[in-house]
Amino acid sequence: MKRKNKYLTKTILYLLLIACTIFAFAPVLWMTVSAFKPEGEIASYPPTWIPAHPTMSNFSYVLETFNFLRWTLNSSLSAIIATIIVILIDSLAAFSFARFHFKGNALLYATVLSMLMVPIQVTIIPLYLMFAHVHLLNTITALILPTTGNVTGVFILRNFFRSVPQDLIDAARIDGASYLRIWWTIMLPIARPSISAVAIITFISNWTNFLWPLVSVNSDASRTLPVGIAEFFGGQSGVSGSAPQYGPAMAAALMATLPAIVIFLLLQRYFVKGITMTGIKG
Amino acid sequence: MKKNLRLSLVPYLFLIPYLFAFIAFRFGPSIAGFFVSLTKWNIIGTPKFIGFENYSELFSDPSFITSLVNTLYFMALTVPALIVLGLLIALLVDQDLKGRTATRTFVFMPYVIMSTVVGVIWMWIFDTHFGILNYYLSFLGIKPIAWLSSVNWAMPAVAITTIWWTVGFNMILFLAGLQDIPEELKEAARIDGASNWQIFWNVTFPLLRPTTVVVLMLTLINSFEVFDQVYVMTGGGPSMATLTVIQYMYFQAFQYFRLGYGSAVAYVVFAFLIILVLVERQLLKKVGEA
Repeated sequence: MKRKNKYLTKTILYLLLIACTIFAFAPVLWMTVSAFKPEGEIASYPPTWIPAHPTMSNFSYVLETFNFLRWTLNSSLSAIIATIIVILIDSLAAFSFARFHFKGNALLYATVLSMLMVPIQVTIIPLYLMFAHVHLLNTITALILPTTGNVTGVFILRNFFRSVPQDLIDAARIDGASYLRIWWTIMLPIARPSISAVAIITFISNWTNFLWPLVSVNSDASRTLPVGIAEFFGGQSGVSGSAPQYGPAMAAALMATLPAIVIFLLLQRYFVKGITMTGIKG
Repeated sequence: MKKNLRLSLVPYLFLIPYLFAFIAFRFGPSIAGFFVSLTKWNIIGTPKFIGFENYSELFSDPSFITSLVNTLYFMALTVPALIVLGLLIALLVDQDLKGRTATRTFVFMPYVIMSTVVGVIWMWIFDTHFGILNYYLSFLGIKPIAWLSSVNWAMPAVAITTIWWTVGFNMILFLAGLQDIPEELKEAARIDGASNWQIFWNVTFPLLRPTTVVVLMLTLINSFEVFDQVYVMTGGGPSMATLTVIQYMYFQAFQYFRLGYGSAVAYVVFAFLIILVLVERQLLKKVGEA
């Protein structure tokens, strides 16, 4: 009896596992399937999960009609540059906060952390005024700079640097290494797991950022992927309610999603680490 | 002497690049926003100081009240679901089951898709005439629902989208919390003859409390700041049924170019978040004492 019960429980658990997987994956699959359907087929009823006549025409339509590659380039470029800057300046600051006794250390660090409480949306209007004032709206620079004032990177790296044994630093000092050299040759290499986490968080948050790029850029030349998708395939673009338009929309969605999913599958471990570090300890 | 001076400058020098960015792009704007909110500032022309007029106007602005009510409705639809489902899925994939890591990956995957793409995908799923959801619902005898264009269904549709998109994030946080609980504690309870249910209720759940507090806080904050999905899927419509506070800020500041008024909205959001966090703390303290 007890044994039978156990099998029943196992079966139910497996069914739930499958249900979760289907619920999570079906929309992604549906996007993929729809992207390969020709214009006539996408509106066919009942809907089919396998395209009868798979086609690439939606993809070529998107690439020919919109500056899709330009958006992708803008998104990638701004995310990569922002990530590099963040890692450099955040790790330098975190090293200072973690390992030096100086006047104002605690106060400055508390000020930095206090910004975790202030929603980022509060900064949008002043940032807009500031970038308008220096004529930097509609530039990649505008997409990059606000990211560099982030708090989580300093927070994660400071916590890590505090755990580095002092002996390591002392030994390097005795060998005559400068603090800058210690930062570059000792601190950065041993912090690699934490730095990977910070890099992924920064990259993803810049890559998916929407409100600021929407506000700061309105020329197609500097537009990012999330904004391009929203403006040309969102509810206001005339896509909704006309099924044939959903073919190109899904093709664009798939092209925008695939790189993120590949990166995620490759670096899953660091994703999880990054999330648990900012979530739990924050 | 010289060496000492150099040493004492080092930490400051290391801080300079970051502090510059922090003050210019995070701290400064956060403070400046408040001063902007005290002005009448249309993009062309000079700002005019008007004290707290924007704030008093806000609370008698029916559209703003609507956006606030809508946002609270959105929170009511998403927060409990995200917490409960996040925890349940975490418990499920923490069991000793084959394929659990695959499920973890699949459930988390939507989170790495950008918000606007998520919006577009679900617009297609929710499509009234050709959408796959209405097709499957028709098997249950449900007539086609105009998900995104009806006042009653637009917000639930956005909520479903959001739950799908972010439940994996909460799952990961809960899972990390679960894995921090020492196996010996559960084992000891089992030896004492506790049932699985008792172990969960008396061992796992209390030890998961710190995680739950953090997840709840993050979920509340994120739901309050909802913007992207709504912008893409409904644009706040139909007839303001999905207008949220951040979206109202966006409209005021960047469609009507009322920068002062928009800033006031942003600061009210900030104030609400602080109240939210304080209330949550107070409530949890009470629950803890009981």
